[in-house]
Amino acid sequence: MSKLFHKEISLCTQAVTWGLLAAVLLTLIPGYPILVGTFLVCLGIFHSFQYTNESNDILYSVLLPVRKRDVVRAKYVKVLLFEGIAFVITAVLTVIRMTLMADAGPYVTNPMMNATPYFLACVLLVFTAFNVLFVGGFFKTAWKVGMPFLRFGIAAFLLVAIAEVLHHIPGLTFLNEPGGAWLELQLVMLVLAALIFAAATWISCKVSIKRFEKIDL
Amino acid sequence: MAILEVSGLCKDYPAFHLNNVSFTLEKGRIMGFIGRNGAGKTTTLKSILNIVHPSAGQIRFFGMDLLPHEDEIKQRIGYAGGAVDFYKRKKIRKLIEVTKTFYPNWDEAACRQWMEIFALDENKTPAQLSEGMKVKLALTLALSHHAELLILDEPTSGLDPVSREELLEAFTFLKDRGVTILFSTHITSDLEKCADDITYIAGGRLIASEPMTAFMERGAAEGRGDTLENIMVSYEKRSIHDFAAEVTI
Repeated sequence: MSKLFHKEISLCTQAVTWGLLAAVLLTLIPGYPILVGTFLVCLGIFHSFQYTNESNDILYSVLLPVRKRDVVRAKYVKVLLFEGIAFVITAVLTVIRMTLMADAGPYVTNPMMNATPYFLACVLLVFTAFNVLFVGGFFKTAWKVGMPFLRFGIAAFLLVAIAEVLHHIPGLTFLNEPGGAWLELQLVMLVLAALIFAAATWISCKVSIKRFEKIDL
Repeated sequence: MAILEVSGLCKDYPAFHLNNVSFTLEKGRIMGFIGRNGAGKTTTLKSILNIVHPSAGQIRFFGMDLLPHEDEIKQRIGYAGGAVDFYKRKKIRKLIEVTKTFYPNWDEAACRQWMEIFALDENKTPAQLSEGMKVKLALTLALSHHAELLILDEPTSGLDPVSREELLEAFTFLKDRGVTILFSTHITSDLEKCADDITYIAGGRLIASEPMTAFMERGAAEGRGDTLENIMVSYEKRSIHDFAAEVTI
């Protein structure tokens, strides 16, 4: 597994995948739908999968002395690495916005989604959609990337739209409160999102392994 | 000792059926796997390597069933599907650096030696190599982990005569060092130079699998011709008149 992971990073990962991690900095921009940054991180990972196809990586990998299931696992581990890096940076930026920059004018009057634990929960849900719809969809054929990414794109657009709309609905404005009395509830939502992310990614990986074992390459 | 045993191999596609293909490859021999385009050579080789899933049949390498011992078996074999067509924009040095981590018995000295013999420049990318050089790169990767069995899918297709000659010479050189080779081709003159055994399929069915000399003698006795090409043409050729009679042109 570790060798396959090394191969994933050395041969399959493009500079654009690393570069688009910088999209998490959008978290700091007021008056902007900051959840779009998460979508852009996923777009960077998508480029690696596209490159994987162009490079015949799957055939190269299955001819190596490895188990087919490990080829799938290594891809998921790589995806989780990038999502993990993006999430940690996003979380740090969220904490900075909620504490050191809490009183900054543009954030106080921000009409869009604030950086809060609720936002972090939404980040995890976008990653969940990517892992299930795109990565899981890719392993139906191990070469088609377009349709799975389109499905993810639609789901991500809906998630961003819903997340941005919800906190404008009377009674749900607490979702956009950066701290205060609602912090605990938002943290509960974050934990729930983390559980959904973990369970859905695990199931997606299991299903992908089964699919990949049956595919004729 | 049988290095590879294939028995009753079947693979069903909607428009093609590989039907009950069986053959055995003994250690230290070169087997030519022949058949015209679309006969099922690549399907057979891919089934042998579990790249596609056979509908039926048994495959054993070094006396072991393929599926439960896939990792172990792949340590001992090398496959080249013609020219290297993966990571065309990565430097050969990088490809080798990553590939060798998967093989505990990777021999860096042997790798250097084969690179030198084949005049490969590690600072080039596969995209910068000719087709012949790409095949040589694939062979270098396979030989550097001391593969005991090389499975090569049409390695000489697209090569110029000199490169083909060099490659066939390399096969003989490897055979003398105990390496077993199974290579598919439809260029029969290649086999006449180096093959010990012939496995011949047509339309997904096995026509013959036997020593080259026996195959040639039988072909001559049946009046099919005295060269591999003539024998193959005799099996395969259907005149335009035969087609016309069937489809009513």
